[in-house]
Amino acid sequence: MSDGGGENGSEQTQPRKSGGDDFAQAIAKIAVAQICESEGFQAFQNSALETLSDIAVRYIASIGKNAHSYANLAGRTECNVFDIIQSLEDLGSVQGFSGASFVDHSLSSSGVIREIDQYVGESDHMPFAYSIPEFPVVKERKLTSSFFQTGQEPPYEHIPSWLPVFPEPHTYARLPLTDEKAIEPMTRMELQKDRKVGQSVLNLHQRLVSNGLEGPSFVYPGDPDKVMKQAEESNPFLAAPLEFGEKEVSRVILPAKLANEPALENRVTENHVMNNRFAVLETFAPAIEAIKEGSFDSEGQKRVLLNRRPTVKFKIGIGKKSFGSVIHSSPENEGLKKISPWFKGESEKDEKKRRAEKILKESMENSQELAQL
Amino acid sequence: MNQNQSQQSSDGRHEDDTALSEFLASLMEYTPTIPDELVEHYLGKSGFQCPDLRLSVLLSPIRLVAVATQKFVAEVATDALQQCKARQASIVKDKRDKQQKDKRLILTMEDLSKALREHGVNVKHQEYFADNPATGMDPASRDE
Repeated sequence: MSDGGGENGSEQTQPRKSGGDDFAQAIAKIAVAQICESEGFQAFQNSALETLSDIAVRYIASIGKNAHSYANLAGRTECNVFDIIQSLEDLGSVQGFSGASFVDHSLSSSGVIREIDQYVGESDHMPFAYSIPEFPVVKERKLTSSFFQTGQEPPYEHIPSWLPVFPEPHTYARLPLTDEKAIEPMTRMELQKDRKVGQSVLNLHQRLVSNGLEGPSFVYPGDPDKVMKQAEESNPFLAAPLEFGEKEVSRVILPAKLANEPALENRVTENHVMNNRFAVLETFAPAIEAIKEGSFDSEGQKRVLLNRRPTVKFKIGIGKKSFGSVIHSSPENEGLKKISPWFKGESEKDEKKRRAEKILKESMENSQELAQL
Repeated sequence: MNQNQSQQSSDGRHEDDTALSEFLASLMEYTPTIPDELVEHYLGKSGFQCPDLRLSVLLSPIRLVAVATQKFVAEVATDALQQCKARQASIVKDKRDKQQKDKRLILTMEDLSKALREHGVNVKHQEYFADNPATGMDPASRDE
């Protein structure tokens, strides 16, 4: 049977829609083409062949659907020949068949069956042109056996015994990590990353200091003595507190506008920002002094403020330290230590750097607050 | 099992049953053009379930469906062929010069839709432009 009507090579040129059923449809097309050829056709239009094969496939599917519903009507799930005959009668009712008018006719002597018998007798014996592998390949599904089947008791009362058993506990339970070798590479990478970050933070701090800007006041909890000494050299605010009167502080005259501001509000903000203000006091000294003047107009209160200055500085240290200790005792870091005991030195260093990073971050935030001031 | 379900007391019914089982047995020797695998696949897709097919003749409706489908397709094809022949006969009356070209029996959408309408299937499918015989009917070199 040849492909008629100037559509040579259309299979190659036409973009084919790729469905999951291509194979079955191709086989249906071949089968339908064979039947048409046996009926006497010499050629076909592609569209006609596709239509006819599609209808043949739908015919099969509707037989199956009707037979299935007839089986269900009879209270069965599995079909037998009589369901098929009944659905064939349904589909043949458009054309009509002999004996269709009898309501109580026997299915085994149905006109449809007789017609098919007749067709089988008349038609040529023409098997399908190709040998087909069995399709679709259905994998044997292995279901998890239920609690009842395995004879186990469900772990909780609300779980009925017909439900599948739980998988092995190690597949879902969270266990402490014990295999150190497995963790090692990850930890090392993490440590290296943290070290790099810490390095860059230190560099940034040094640059800030050398530029004359007041960098954030660093507290190194790992090695306090050495670091504090270093910090005292660079940061005057970490030096020993001055007694009142030891150093002359010039009074700044406040503009009239600022002087009128309510004292209460300023006091509240001052409590908040106290830490920050002292950390960068040097650069913003005149402005801050002016604001303080605004809030404390009497001489006595001014003195109180000055007295408070070293105290506040002391508080900075405490605050930072406690912050550091929080990091130190966090379970994450504890775990890290446990995991990699031979990285202890490194992890300590690493912690230092991490803290330094946090402090820098904090000071950056503080500088933002200052800018708001 | 199925026989028991449908069996009635009358002897005529009993004869029918034996006739049916003989027919189904004969079907097993007849290999239809539509392969069993295809039928099985599409029946399975439509929700059809049946007990294991290859065990018994009576319990294997697949062959029956295959033969029934083949019969349906063959009937449609025969109708379409008749349509095709009738059309060609009318054309030949008008234009004798196209005689050679039109002699080939081609399954076209036109004939197929007419044939299918008789079987209760309305095909409103636009035939492909490439399928139009006017677009490029190659000479007889492509004939088999």
